Amino acid sequence: MQFELVEEDNINVSKQTYYYDYEEYEDDKGPATMIEEILAHDAFPKLDELVIGNWGAWDGSCQPIIDGIIENKEKFSHIQKVFIGNMDYEACEVSWILQGNYSKLWAAMPQLRELTIKGSNELVLGEICHEELEALTIICGGLPVSVIQSIQNAKLPKLKKLLLFIGVENYGFDGNENTIKELLAHAQFPELTELGITDSEIQDELTEVVLDSKFMEQITTLDLSNGTLTDKGGALLLEKIPQYPNIRKLDIHHNYLSVNMAKKLEALPIEVDASEIEQSWAHGGRIYMNALLTE
Amino acid sequence: MRQAVILGSSDTKRTIYLEKAAAQEGVSVTLVDWQDWETYHDLPDAEELLVKIDPPRWTSCSLAKLNQLADGYMHELEQLSRLAKCRAVTFLNEPSVIAGLLDKRACKERLQQAGLPVTETIRLSDCSNDGKLTVEMLLEEMRRQRVHQVFIKPVMGSGAAGVSALRWNARTGQMALYTCALLDADAGLINTKCLRRFSKAKDILPLLRQILALDCIIERWYPKAVHQGCSYDLRAVVQEGKVDFLLARLSKGGPITNLHLNNHPLEITALGLSEQLLEDIAILCRDCVKAYPGLRSAGIDILLEKGHMRPRIIEMNAQGDLIYQDIYHENVIYSHQARMIKNWLQMEALKEAL
Repeated sequence: MQFELVEEDNINVSKQTYYYDYEEYEDDKGPATMIEEILAHDAFPKLDELVIGNWGAWDGSCQPIIDGIIENKEKFSHIQKVFIGNMDYEACEVSWILQGNYSKLWAAMPQLRELTIKGSNELVLGEICHEELEALTIICGGLPVSVIQSIQNAKLPKLKKLLLFIGVENYGFDGNENTIKELLAHAQFPELTELGITDSEIQDELTEVVLDSKFMEQITTLDLSNGTLTDKGGALLLEKIPQYPNIRKLDIHHNYLSVNMAKKLEALPIEVDASEIEQSWAHGGRIYMNALLTE
Repeated sequence: MRQAVILGSSDTKRTIYLEKAAAQEGVSVTLVDWQDWETYHDLPDAEELLVKIDPPRWTSCSLAKLNQLADGYMHELEQLSRLAKCRAVTFLNEPSVIAGLLDKRACKERLQQAGLPVTETIRLSDCSNDGKLTVEMLLEEMRRQRVHQVFIKPVMGSGAAGVSALRWNARTGQMALYTCALLDADAGLINTKCLRRFSKAKDILPLLRQILALDCIIERWYPKAVHQGCSYDLRAVVQEGKVDFLLARLSKGGPITNLHLNNHPLEITALGLSEQLLEDIAILCRDCVKAYPGLRSAGIDILLEKGHMRPRIIEMNAQGDLIYQDIYHENVIYSHQARMIKNWLQMEALKEAL
């Protein structure tokens, strides 16, 4: 088992990534062996954040890890933040990460404040009901409607941050702008201050949906980054954002804006990140643009 | 009469910046163009020569011609070696060493024999088919060894020409191929200098067949160290056993780090590597060069494994001295070469005086 120290303040290690490297994987280590090794690690009782990296994620689901946390819930009662699937493309294609079913995790970790999940293959969130969760992030190349519907019906009274990578059809997004419209219309997150609907190849359409949603009245940070935002979506932002003085930060980095539009948006009297302007390309009479994470 | 010579091409950055450095040291260097050498197979008429061999210009983007071009270059290097037997010629890097390092397979074996850590070669258990590797053999070996991701590199390639990174999930059959190679309907297999990702077997398999036909080595694809969300490896330029320049090559969104692929170079100090690790890297580089007597200047690519930060040699290049981040700043690398030339001229003069 590898223990990668992510942060430290010289006294208390608070966050650590647990993962298997290729040698361990080839020696038959996998998700079924991980929880036992985490529990045996000296530093584990001092952690408040548990980060799970590669477990051989292309070869087996992380379900044994989730189940292991549930079975040993008392031993994980000090963990306030969980990230399952923290691995980059050097370790595994995002679309190959075999996720799991989190339905029983909500009740097993009532102290949980933040949950981050990478990968949407075989991902099930089930019926979400959690009194304390403040942040939910899903990073993937394509978010299934079934997962979006779980979030739409979630009971998360303290949720402050929702960040979703929407992705593309080839890798699991089987919805359209109406799916996100319904999500934002039905979801009840009274404490939400940060909303991210990102990494989409229909980013302009989703920008319109988000700007028309009820959450615009309450959020302070809007994240529409990593997608194919063009001047069409940029013009909407330019028109609508000034109507919401509660918005203090706009993240639209990785976009397909014109330099002129990016400058206009950056001139808004709020914090704006319009960096990483990408270039579209034409082939066979079509214009091609990529969201950041579409694999 | 003693003379220092660059065997290279005019108007290349290699020539221009070595000439600049030489002028600053107060020594003159004569350029012999590769075209002239190939015509006459002779060098300037001087009693003593010091020759620096730069690579010839290869303009073809056809990967099918890669081996042919490499063979032609090897032949020229042999001619240069022969010339040194009948004339007083000293080489900055011996032609036989340049040739030895062009062969990635032989280089890797030599470094391993010297006990140095290199990126592991995946060896085939099936040696049928005259040692020629097919897609089916490769996938079977990956399945057998439980290796799900590999690098495929033409043995005689330079830069990222033909280099590909393959992922294969034996359980699901999913594939992903990152490569700069492309099958063109007219030109065949070409090097595009643009990294693409293919994810469909129908696109990958024909491409892979053509790439493997080039004679390739298969290496384990190690997850590389990461800095601010970008994976990176290192390029060291080692001259006279000393690391003159160390640079990180960052890649965001692709496994192939090469400065010709618009990857982001970064000063080594920005990575915050420990003094101990930097010292280990310097010793490793020095030992690599020691494995090749007659090698005074080398570019060495080093991988740091994610997590362990264990250094491994990816490859060595006897003509890997051109680093834009150096020539546009202090020109340290070519200044060192200019001093080597100056020292040689002074030593030869001293010998003559004695």
